Amino acid sequence: MVMKNPKLARVAQGARLELVPLQVLVPVVSTIIALGIGLLIIAATGASVIEAIEAFWDGMAGSDFNIGASINRAISLALVGLGFIFASRANLTNVGGEGQIAMGGMFATAAALHGAGGLPLGLAFIVPLAVGTLAGAIWGGLAGVLKAARGTNEVISTLLLSFIALPLVYWSVESFHLLRKPISDVSSLPESAEIPDSTKLPLLFPDNGSPLHIGLLIAAIAVVVVWLVLRHSSLGLRLRAVGLNAMASRRAGMRTSFYVILAMTVSGGLGGLGGAIMILGQQFYLTSDFSSGYGFDGLVVGLLSRGSAVGVVIGALLFGFLRSGSINMEISAHVPSAVVLICQGLIVIVIAGSAILTNRKVTR
Amino acid sequence: MIDEQMAVFIGSGLRLAVPIIFAATGEMLSERAGVLNLSLDGMMLMSAFTAALASWATGSPLIGVAAGVLVATAVAALQAVLSVTLRANQLVVGIGFNILALGSTTFLYREIFGPLSRDPIPGFAQLNLPWLAHIPVIGPALANQTGLAYVSILMVVVTWLILKYTSFGLAVRAVGEDPRAADKAGISVAKTRYLGVLYAGILAGLGGAFMSVADSNTFTENMTKGAGYLAITAVIFGGWNPWYTLAACLLFGFATALQFLVPALQLDVPVALLLLLPYLLALVAIAGFVGKSRQPSALTIPFERGG
Amino acid sequence: MAVLELSGLTKRFGAFTALDDISLQIERGEVHCLLGENGAGKSTLCNLVFGVHRPDAGTMTLGGEPFHPRGPAEALQRGVVMVHQHFSLVPNMSVAENLMLGRASAVLKPQDIIVRMEQLAAEYGLEIDPEARIEDLSVGERQRVEIIKCLLGDPQLLVLDEPTAVLQPDEIDALLAICRQVALRGKSVILVTHKLGEISRVADRTTVLRQGRIIETVAMEGADIRSLVRSMVGRDVQSAGSVLAAAVDIEGKTPAKPSGAAGPVSPGEAVLEISDLVYRDPHGVPRLDGLSLTVGTGEIVGIAGVEGNGQTELGLILAGLAAPSAGAIVVGGAQVGGCTPQEITDAGVGIVPEDRHAVACIKELSVAENLYLGAIGKFSRFGLLDKSARRKAAEAMMRDFDVRASSPDVSMASLSGGNQQKAVLARELSLDPLVFLLAAQPTRGLDVGAIEAVYNRIRAARDDGLGVLLISSELEELMAVSDRIAVIYRGKLVGELAAGSFSREAIGAMMSGHAHV
Repeated sequence: MVMKNPKLARVAQGARLELVPLQVLVPVVSTIIALGIGLLIIAATGASVIEAIEAFWDGMAGSDFNIGASINRAISLALVGLGFIFASRANLTNVGGEGQIAMGGMFATAAALHGAGGLPLGLAFIVPLAVGTLAGAIWGGLAGVLKAARGTNEVISTLLLSFIALPLVYWSVESFHLLRKPISDVSSLPESAEIPDSTKLPLLFPDNGSPLHIGLLIAAIAVVVVWLVLRHSSLGLRLRAVGLNAMASRRAGMRTSFYVILAMTVSGGLGGLGGAIMILGQQFYLTSDFSSGYGFDGLVVGLLSRGSAVGVVIGALLFGFLRSGSINMEISAHVPSAVVLICQGLIVIVIAGSAILTNRKVTR
Repeated sequence: MIDEQMAVFIGSGLRLAVPIIFAATGEMLSERAGVLNLSLDGMMLMSAFTAALASWATGSPLIGVAAGVLVATAVAALQAVLSVTLRANQLVVGIGFNILALGSTTFLYREIFGPLSRDPIPGFAQLNLPWLAHIPVIGPALANQTGLAYVSILMVVVTWLILKYTSFGLAVRAVGEDPRAADKAGISVAKTRYLGVLYAGILAGLGGAFMSVADSNTFTENMTKGAGYLAITAVIFGGWNPWYTLAACLLFGFATALQFLVPALQLDVPVALLLLLPYLLALVAIAGFVGKSRQPSALTIPFERGG
Repeated sequence: MAVLELSGLTKRFGAFTALDDISLQIERGEVHCLLGENGAGKSTLCNLVFGVHRPDAGTMTLGGEPFHPRGPAEALQRGVVMVHQHFSLVPNMSVAENLMLGRASAVLKPQDIIVRMEQLAAEYGLEIDPEARIEDLSVGERQRVEIIKCLLGDPQLLVLDEPTAVLQPDEIDALLAICRQVALRGKSVILVTHKLGEISRVADRTTVLRQGRIIETVAMEGADIRSLVRSMVGRDVQSAGSVLAAAVDIEGKTPAKPSGAAGPVSPGEAVLEISDLVYRDPHGVPRLDGLSLTVGTGEIVGIAGVEGNGQTELGLILAGLAAPSAGAIVVGGAQVGGCTPQEITDAGVGIVPEDRHAVACIKELSVAENLYLGAIGKFSRFGLLDKSARRKAAEAMMRDFDVRASSPDVSMASLSGGNQQKAVLARELSLDPLVFLLAAQPTRGLDVGAIEAVYNRIRAARDDGLGVLLISSELEELMAVSDRIAVIYRGKLVGELAAGSFSREAIGAMMSGHAHV
């Protein structure tokens, strides 16, 4: 086969060769720079940087318990991040992870409190997980339906749906006829009752005190499945085709609306699963702000990964450990955990801003 | 008694609406030029904090407002560089700035104000315009506002005049609808969008500063509580028209104020439903079920000159 | 005296040299035509002069002063104006607002513009309602707005990039007259075209471009049209036959029938039957207005017409991308009007759509992925793709249809337009079953070699018994390839000519709605 313009082919290949390292380089460098700035800020407050780092490390990985807690955090972030890259394969931007987590967590709590507790064979926690996933899927799918039927920009609709979901959670834990636990003499906080033990996710290492639960296995399966679907399946190719050129995909016989709705539904479902796992795996009761920040963190994880499932795992672990570390840093070293927020914000901005470097197209 | 509650309700509805009016009006112009600033909330929060800090340090709320606007405009400038020049994803950049703003204001607040957080911050006095106070029912609420509240309405008028009667306004509309055509007509797409974003920054700065030095005379962590998002929602609900956007802001302000009125009147309406109402209305509007709200064609799409 | 002087201009896009060492002078008061095939660099040259792109080498002077515009704004300021191939008007604004766009005055003065519009109407006969919204205007009216916009500022140099492609014959006449008017008033005009008929009517001098280089610049008085064609395509017209005539549209020339299309073919049974097809656009405007047409097996039916008379809509409906408002479409006995694209494909319809980039292929995907875009499931087991089997099948198809690419895995965007179109043809002609092919503007933007290949494919398909509907705005193309030509005007067929009785004049008259046969 003769290429019409061999020079052009070489340019195209050359660009691809240098693209790969850049895509890895940019997130890594931005993360390092952001963390460096974080350290400078800590130093500027007069706190001991060494002490802060020690506290930080201790919180991240100082004990089996802390490692387990960090990974548990990463699990939900990874699921939201997977949802983000699933939708973005169809060129859809799901920024509504927060709302999908909220719906997933709320409905999982409802299922766990009302009925699932007595089920046998692990169904006690599987059913709430499924219900939570479904709730998130509907919440995400709603944006897909609006996009397919009315052409509504999914960024705006998922964002609005998040702001609708959060008051709904608040409502559910405020109202006695919904999920709020009855007022006892001990506490009257607006939160749900604790879910039955049978509905809590089984621990992986019950003997050494690590809170690590089987959500890890669920997330691992999700990573593999999403990777297979997006990279090697006919569904993945169809999603990509629809995202790149809906008209040509329609002409080729694809039902574009179906794939738009499907992508948003799966994306939301992964977020809902993440929310359900947060409740069933570590928090055990619903509060109005249980999802706080996880949605945007998960979005950032998805963004950092640049569409790669492996990237999602790395990003989720990074953010999971950062969060745990920052909490301990605030408690032990009295450095406000907001420093980590500053770092996260910087990472997002720098990576988004450098997209012009990594997305450089070969133009004729 | 009911009258008194009504006056309080109207007063607080207006006060809650003012920062959204500022931010939404600026954002509306920026979106007409094609740039969506999800960072609006971050700009407001930064401004609220800076205004509080400067006002507390100098004793002058006016200097506070100036400092707040300056910082918000700086954030807007960065947003413009990223979304116009570097053609970054506007939404992602916006979320990044919001995280950064929340982190940095929370951090600085604890570092600087930590022990003094109960001190009130010098703020503006209410004007008490007697000629307004005579209007029945709404008069007292209208009259008992700080000067900044009136400025917000003035800015709506100014923005409307800019869009309708100036070359810059025409350029803004063209750049947001069809940047390629505008470019070929000799308009600098980048410059127009920069100015649009900076305009949004200045007004978001005024809105943020209003929160800390005119409304509450204090700063609290994450004090905007998503007001920036609410402003963006108002722009959508208002169909990118200055007057409808103003109406949406007032509606949202009063909807938020209802949560104080409802318990006082002992009505059985869940507060949560009032909180989500603005977003639900906006969702219904953007889905095209109400009226003809059509977003600028080039909204969020970076412009690159092609052949 | 030269108004514009170019010397040594070179422009590259990546590894591709679009313009190579161009030197040229445009005199005051002349109409200067730029002639060249698609991809010869005409538009790029205009874009350099107008500041849309900046040259990689070379210099320009305007009125004797150095001229290096950094953008359209600077070009406009120096008195260079341009009417683009694609209009640059903001659709949801009024005519007056579009005319005020980019004018220097802080506050809008609609009154001034209206006065100026009245002057131009008196001077050039360019009349239009200042309050009308652009989206409500016809193509010809929009172009009038573009020209008014250009003339508002009393420019030195007017650049028109392929302005006649979208116009009806009488509108073309009016436009060419305006060009002469503008030149008479001491301004200069650069007119880009690939239609020799227009050049001989309006140009003072013509510059021929080929593959980014200037071949020659000739004064039109006493010039030999045939030698211009030779310079343009780099081959002798005679040897290239009808293909070239089709590509360059020499007025009055009747092409020789190429051997493949010789003699009237006796069509077999009908494969496509369209009856009383009506289509109203979302604004309720009828775009197709009771169109009826039959295509038999083994015949090529051409649809002639000025663009915008319903051809695009007909193509979209046949492809299943738009639903007809009324009427029936039957393919091989099955009703397909309003069916999904998949159902239409299953009925045995292949589609080469008018807009290759928007409808036929996805440029970011690989060639193999595009070749099997409609049959993704064919190479998947348990939902997972068998990429090596697909690659093998794609390689075979590329060999059969002479699609040239270094591998089936390179992106569609890296192929030339001709090879992209060959890939589209390969996919559509490999459908099974296949009884009917729609080819809409199948050679648009292709170079001569590829045009010939496309014609041969279409003829071969006809010879295999396919019914083919060829929609084209190039009359010579239709006359060279079709067995029968039907003329579309305002959404319905207004006449039909059988092979052997094709006449430019008759078709042209029907196209402009002047005569009904």
